[in-house]
Amino acid sequence: MDFQGIHDRLQAIQAPGLQGADEPREPDPENKKDKGRFGDPFVLVDAKLLPAFLQVCRDDERLNMDLVADFTATDPAKDDENLWINVQLLSIGQKHRLAIKCMIPKANAVMPTSVPVHRSCQWHEREAAEMYGITFEGHPDPRHILLPDDWVGFPMRKDYEFPEEYHGISCK
Amino acid sequence: MLTPIEVVEVAAASPASAQGGTNMLNELLAKAPRPEFVPDWVVPLNAILIGVGILVAIVSLNAMFGTWLERKVSGHIQCRYGPMRVGWHGWLQPLVDGVKLLLKEDMIPKGADRVLYVIAPALVLSSVLAAMTAFPLSREFFFADIDLGLFFILAMTSTTTIGVVMAGWASNSKWSLYGAMREAAQVVAYEIPLGISLLVPVMAAGTFNLIEVSDMQSGGFGVLNWLIWPWVNPLMLPAFLIFFVAILAETKRAPFDLPEAESELVAGFLTEYSGIRWSFFFMEEYAAMLLFCVVGSFFFFGGFESPLTSAAGGMFGDGSVLHQLAAFTTIVVKGFAGIFLMMWLRWTLPRVRIDQIMTMGYKYLTPLALLCVLLAGIWEVFLAPYLPWR
Amino acid sequence: MTSTAQETHEPTITRSDEEVVLDSGEREFMFDVRTQDMEVNFGPQHPATHGVMRILMRADGEVCTGAQPHLGYLHRCAEKIGENVEWLQYLPYTDRYDYLAAMNNNLGYSMAVEKLMGVEIPRRALMIRTICAELNRIGSHLIAFGTYGLDLGAFTPFLYMFREREWMMALFEKICGARLTYSYIRIGGVFNDAPPGWLSEVERFCDTFEEKWKEYCDLLMVNHIFVKRTADVGVIPVDMALDFGLTGPMLRGSGVDFDLRKDMPYELYDEIWKDKAFEIPVGTGEKGTLGDCWDRVYVRVMEMMESIKIVRWCLAAIEPGPVIADIPKTLRVPPGEAYVGIENPRGELGHYVVSDGGKVGVRVRVRGPSFVNLAVLEAILPGALIADAIAIIGSTDIVVGETDR
Repeated sequence: MDFQGIHDRLQAIQAPGLQGADEPREPDPENKKDKGRFGDPFVLVDAKLLPAFLQVCRDDERLNMDLVADFTATDPAKDDENLWINVQLLSIGQKHRLAIKCMIPKANAVMPTSVPVHRSCQWHEREAAEMYGITFEGHPDPRHILLPDDWVGFPMRKDYEFPEEYHGISCK
Repeated sequence: MLTPIEVVEVAAASPASAQGGTNMLNELLAKAPRPEFVPDWVVPLNAILIGVGILVAIVSLNAMFGTWLERKVSGHIQCRYGPMRVGWHGWLQPLVDGVKLLLKEDMIPKGADRVLYVIAPALVLSSVLAAMTAFPLSREFFFADIDLGLFFILAMTSTTTIGVVMAGWASNSKWSLYGAMREAAQVVAYEIPLGISLLVPVMAAGTFNLIEVSDMQSGGFGVLNWLIWPWVNPLMLPAFLIFFVAILAETKRAPFDLPEAESELVAGFLTEYSGIRWSFFFMEEYAAMLLFCVVGSFFFFGGFESPLTSAAGGMFGDGSVLHQLAAFTTIVVKGFAGIFLMMWLRWTLPRVRIDQIMTMGYKYLTPLALLCVLLAGIWEVFLAPYLPWR
Repeated sequence: MTSTAQETHEPTITRSDEEVVLDSGEREFMFDVRTQDMEVNFGPQHPATHGVMRILMRADGEVCTGAQPHLGYLHRCAEKIGENVEWLQYLPYTDRYDYLAAMNNNLGYSMAVEKLMGVEIPRRALMIRTICAELNRIGSHLIAFGTYGLDLGAFTPFLYMFREREWMMALFEKICGARLTYSYIRIGGVFNDAPPGWLSEVERFCDTFEEKWKEYCDLLMVNHIFVKRTADVGVIPVDMALDFGLTGPMLRGSGVDFDLRKDMPYELYDEIWKDKAFEIPVGTGEKGTLGDCWDRVYVRVMEMMESIKIVRWCLAAIEPGPVIADIPKTLRVPPGEAYVGIENPRGELGHYVVSDGGKVGVRVRVRGPSFVNLAVLEAILPGALIADAIAIIGSTDIVVGETDR
């Protein structure tokens, strides 16, 4: 299925949390400031309902998204209010992909965990949590994964300030 | 020809004489001129000291040559040369390594049991040195002519386990402990098939004494009377195979090198050892390899007997120096042929797992060895007396 | 004790002096022995972790009862660097995460950026890219297979495989000057054309490799001890594999016929697949259970041969032409976001790039297959013997540079 087909199917089964779709477009020739949008199309999903959405995608026989290929977060800009959660779903049986984007506010970056639906999210969520300061409610193992356990701050946020030193080692 | 039961009875009746009849060292020293004031008891004492010196020299030279050979064999198997820099084809490499090991810092881990940690390598080495005393270098030159030589060797080599377990425990490292426990389990499991499989040639030969076993295989151009041949006893080949597998396990050689399995247990019981203490374990390993290979060649492959020995005996007379030299060469060549085979296996095969090694030892090798003994006994008692060539 | 450890030892052993009837029907008497679980630090400096990784293992004697991988010893902030350097400058960093398959990493990153830019890649460049990626796949699988033998105690095959890998690296050295971190596949094509005689040498390499490959199969794959050590060990059922998001040989070892080169083809693979030039080997459970260590290794070994076929197809079809599209020195990537997943030797290597139209990326996310594949250890290690744990870790074929990035 192509993206349009997947989106239609999602609307047909009334997938929980589906907020819309974003498809690439050419720049508007009349508006000089508009540079367009390139790359992949994706669907926008409510972060609070992401696990339910993933479950529907997995269990629907025509979507059959049985693999979470990637689960990560993005900080689009320093002055942006939101963080993005980017999920790439992959269907082994139907051989198609779906990109999902969720917006969560930086001020209150809390969302439910998707581990009960896909266990592969476990380490991805741990990484997103330590790097972006997102709290995944109900995560079975909310430890740091790549960073040391005592690391302060969320390094992948755009407003992150490097510490002066770490355990007496200068970071500058 | 004695029946097996008689063999055991006779062997048990005769006391193991540590200073057996014709020790060449003793004789030579007794003949040597000495000042009046030196008492007689100095002679055997000197003989013992010199013997120990020779033994230590043999063990260290064997370890040096063994490590060099191991590197060379592995290198050539793996499409490379091995050591090439020090001396011709790196033959001085073990010497340099020895110096390096001696100069290395002698470390004892903080949490280790210091006493046991220090004793363990010495215990390991001394037990194999003790076993080496039963190894005759030629028909006339030996350190101890023990009637129960085979029993003595088996008993002494199995005490190395105590040293290894001690080392593993004293290191206070979990990997060392794993290695030690594996060693204990493995050696205990393989002592049994090792001992039982050796009973087959013992029955055929009718003696436990290494020199006597060698003597009874003489004749037939130095080859045809070896015990391994099926016309002597058809059960000898399976017994030898069991024996060979068992000595691989006893000497901790691949594919049975579980106690020091480097990819699993870092280095097993050797993990915390360094420097000269570490090299003691290596000397033990190579000495045990040589010893078991020599035992194998005595009990299966004719011992001193070879075309070379019989030719030397025929040309220069039995017991002449050249004859003895030929005997010595023969046994060394045979021993190192066995060691080469072990090295070849080590650099070819993957390692087995602990449960597989135990299964093999207890479930297959031990019953098979017992079956071999039974069938060999039937052959020796009922068939061998009627064979024209026996 | 022919049954495996998983059957005879449950993770939590209740010991009593009553008899226990096992699944296999055997009766086992458990005596009232008090044993204490021991925590063993498997790594960071352990010979079998293939890098600096630490697994905190709880063991009851030789049986592992729990395992917890600890990562991050090799964390080099690759993603943060991606947000601070220009698009083209990031390319050398991609070499560093999966250092055994650097060409594939270059390819994945380049494709992600190209997707945003919408450049047309010259056909010769695509050919050379495919040849390099497949040769590198062979090299990576050689390491995986060789070190797997090393983990199981067979030292020699490892060095045989290094001999062939050496030639592969010499080929790469001739084409780009580097032996490990190539940065050869660039955004828009490849850095330069293959030197004269290079393609014929690749052909000679293929001929030689096919002979040697048979030797490896005889030496290790069908070796009785090797089969005993790997069959029925570390079984990953299909649903577990999908649940943990495994890809690549890990997934195919469990019997799932899915390969991005075939099912979601990129670059030239569509043509090659339609030409029926290669096949996708899938685990069959030939020596034991479907999805055991042997199957995973089998898939890797067979894949090397398929890579040779792809290389041969490209060698037959390659034609002269330009090797790089017209790309400015300072890239300004149009705004947008793109995810490109390619078939790395270890599984799906995903690059998720976000651009706001500037010289520097907003987000460069690397989805490393090793990172995802490693997570399954937590589930399959408990119940295995220590020696089996080594076999299982080896069969996941991780590169720690990629798990930690």
